[in-house]
Amino acid sequence: MQKKLFIFPLIIFLCILLVFSYFLIIKRDPSELPSALINKKAPMFKTTSLFDDETILAEEIFGHETIIVNFFSTWCIPCRAEHSFIEKLSKDKNIKVIGVNYKDDSQKTIAWLKELGNPYTVIAVDMNGSIGLDWGVYGLPETFIVNKNSVITYKQVGPITKKIYSKFYQKVQESYK
Amino acid sequence: MAPSLGYFILWLSLIFAVLQFIISLKKDTSNISKFHKIAVIGLLLSTLFSFFSLMYSHIVSDFSVLNVFQNSHTTKPLLYRISGVWGNHEGSMLLWILVLSVVNYWIYKLYNETNSIFVSKTLQIQAFIIIGFLLFILTTSNPFERILPPPANGLGFNPILQDPALAIHPPLLYFGYVGFSAAFSLSIATMHLGKNSEIPWYKYMKTFVVAAWTFLTAGTALGSLWAYYELGWGGWWFWDPVENAALMPWLIGTALLHSLITVERKKTLQTWVLLLAILAFLLSVIGTFLVRSGILTSVHAFALDPARGVYILSFVALLGVYSLTLFAFKSKNFLHKGYFIFLSREGSIFVNNLFMVIVCASVFFGTTYPLFVEIFSQNRISVGEPYFNSTVIPIMIPAILVMGIGPVLSWGKQNNKNTAQQILISLFLTILITIIFFLCYRGFSFYGLIGIFLSLWIICNVFVTIFFAIKKDSNKNILSPIGFFKHFNSMIISHIGVGLLILGITGSSVWQEENITRMKVNDETTINNYNIVFKEIKKVIGPNYYALEGNFWVYNKKNIVITVLKPQNRIYTITKNTTSEVSIHTNLLRDLYIVLGDGDINEGWVVRIYNNPLVIWIWIGVLIIFSGGLLALKNNLKFLRQNN
Amino acid sequence: MNLYITTSFKLFIVVVFINLSGLAIINFAHAVEPEEFLNDPKQELRARNISKNVRCLVCQNESIDESSAPLAQDLRIIIRTKIKEGWTNKEIYKFLTDRYCDFVLLKPPFKTNTFILWIFPFVLLLISLFLIYLHNKNSNKRLNGSS
Repeated sequence: MQKKLFIFPLIIFLCILLVFSYFLIIKRDPSELPSALINKKAPMFKTTSLFDDETILAEEIFGHETIIVNFFSTWCIPCRAEHSFIEKLSKDKNIKVIGVNYKDDSQKTIAWLKELGNPYTVIAVDMNGSIGLDWGVYGLPETFIVNKNSVITYKQVGPITKKIYSKFYQKVQESYK
Repeated sequence: MAPSLGYFILWLSLIFAVLQFIISLKKDTSNISKFHKIAVIGLLLSTLFSFFSLMYSHIVSDFSVLNVFQNSHTTKPLLYRISGVWGNHEGSMLLWILVLSVVNYWIYKLYNETNSIFVSKTLQIQAFIIIGFLLFILTTSNPFERILPPPANGLGFNPILQDPALAIHPPLLYFGYVGFSAAFSLSIATMHLGKNSEIPWYKYMKTFVVAAWTFLTAGTALGSLWAYYELGWGGWWFWDPVENAALMPWLIGTALLHSLITVERKKTLQTWVLLLAILAFLLSVIGTFLVRSGILTSVHAFALDPARGVYILSFVALLGVYSLTLFAFKSKNFLHKGYFIFLSREGSIFVNNLFMVIVCASVFFGTTYPLFVEIFSQNRISVGEPYFNSTVIPIMIPAILVMGIGPVLSWGKQNNKNTAQQILISLFLTILITIIFFLCYRGFSFYGLIGIFLSLWIICNVFVTIFFAIKKDSNKNILSPIGFFKHFNSMIISHIGVGLLILGITGSSVWQEENITRMKVNDETTINNYNIVFKEIKKVIGPNYYALEGNFWVYNKKNIVITVLKPQNRIYTITKNTTSEVSIHTNLLRDLYIVLGDGDINEGWVVRIYNNPLVIWIWIGVLIIFSGGLLALKNNLKFLRQNN
Repeated sequence: MNLYITTSFKLFIVVVFINLSGLAIINFAHAVEPEEFLNDPKQELRARNISKNVRCLVCQNESIDESSAPLAQDLRIIIRTKIKEGWTNKEIYKFLTDRYCDFVLLKPPFKTNTFILWIFPFVLLLISLFLIYLHNKNSNKRLNGSS
């Protein structure tokens, strides 16, 4: 019986090796979290708009068409870098992009958008970060795709770059189904 | 010039390593040691030269070398320019190679008239390991990469790393890991031996394992010590993956060390030892992989580069598959036919070995489990401190109980009356002193009780062993100091160290007191019978930083000032890093530990004060364990020299 | 707040403790501060214990109790608010994992996908004890058989 035991270390070793190899191959970023909200209903919120004090109700925005929700702020440097891609997205007639201004100074944001251009149809103000908290935001920028049934289908953590853009666009197309 | 030469010589060392490997293939073993001499010394000298040329580049701040540029700066003090050589990925790998060459030389020194085939085989495996690491450096982590035109100055540094304890802990750790490489090579060479070979492979292995284990203990402890006084939580162990990467080989190393002693004495547990020797080194290399590959987040992630991860993983795969396959087929030659009595010293060692392996497996599983979960589900979990504390501690408790009576048990069959007498006396003493402890020193706590009991259990058993040995030893006066200390061998010393270590761990974990409060100048607060007055706040200028320093006067019960604590918040001028420097007052009973937070003159500052009881015994305990290890190493070397 | 550094240059940084929030703005948050403390010491103890079990998502291996990141402070405050409102520990944990998934907990929950993690050490212990028992029985058989 003892002699048969001697092969076990090798077997266990091979299993562990397989797991590690898998992780190296898929090249995953250990600091990126999967979203807890994928395939769940988008969390609702009520807040004011950036430009005037009009109330914004999430219930009114979601539920009719695919919406892209982009959390951004003026003090976030990568947000600036991805701005052109957000604009590109917004130019597509079928895509509506709303922005959530996270923990920011509204005046600064207005000036920022004036300088860079405003791709958002609506901008919600999240002064204390509670909307971000409900959406599981832990870093900026983060961009969500919400389909016409108010279900979150995808979350992009980090800025949308040239490399990521086509994949993201594809995810938007998929959400139409 | 130096870096180019260093790079060229590194390739030269690869040639020597390949040479060493090929020499072992020689069928005619008559002059093999002479040929190996060339390879071994050539390898040693070339790696020494290469390492020192990198060090030279750091010392003179040659920023044309990328490694120097990324990690150094002209304002860095000399000591840290030197230690900065191994404070980064490429330099630390070069240090690995250097230590591998040094250990390689000592394996070569094992040669005598009777063991040339055996040592040759060991050197061959060692050469393979060295080639593996050299190729890794040369293809993925070249420390001599140039950057032209050379920038005027470096990217600075992380000021947290400019610290003596942190500077020396990598070399100590690497002696540990690399020492296990020798055990690994010896294990493989042993398995290639026929049955009934006369070669005392376990004596050779024990020497290397003692050295490796001793240095790994010291290196790990220094890392913890640094974390304690630098990071500001009054804690010294966080179950971070890099800490676990050092702990796992240490656990297996402890098991291996004790089993080797058993092999020497009773010729049993040989196959177990061969397996442990393989695992200790594999874990050392896997640990290297885990913290450099980027698949786990850690406080200490060296370099997030999957390419390097692929290489190390492939290398580990080769080493592991070869050694474990060999083990699967050859180890049955080393099975011992005798009887293994569990109620004996060898029995207690084996039981404790099992506990060590279980703890190691739990730590490994806990560290890597999130990866398994991710493969099979969308969810991602994290395994942190609470898991490790809940699983490791319950298993360590019986382990320490068994460890306590180990020294009392004799090899083989017991003289039951004698053994029972000793254990009962120890039990009585332990309970007695535990009660005294709780009456005088601290309020009752369940975990505190367990911790103090275990600590005293080890120490009392050790002393009972000594007293009985003295009594047996022609009735010498028990109280004579010479008679007493004569019996202090390395086991006694190291075990006392472990007892003290547990004392320190218990005190600082169970009875830590915390006071977090906001204080303006002239405010007072209390912690554990001390009155702490925030007397002043001032600006301080250091060599490469300026700081805000708080002066806190500590009064005891009799209203006498026992110390002034001066925590600082520093801003380093070049890199704009900010650090918080803890101020600690230590004595044998407790550490008073204070951290200055954020704030201003109007609102006051957030002040974090900790009273950490018995912390110093952790460091004293480890120092004593280290001394015991050094003594054991001296004895092992003496024996080897006599026989070679 | 956390930033994603657009790394167009490769730097292998020896990172010991990244205070990620320190990268962009001057950080006014710190580890748990006295002003955050609840008045009721029992509630405050609960808050500290829960915080020690919640991972700071923008740090490397710290709990929100220790971390100086603003997100950690936000979460600490939320936890205390919920405690004051009467939420149980279980409800508070669920609140967090609903938003940040199980990764936010430092102590892995005891679920179907983690129970093997929790029982693993004790299963190993049992197996070892069983093997020792078997070996002992065999040894005794041989001892008694030969004498």
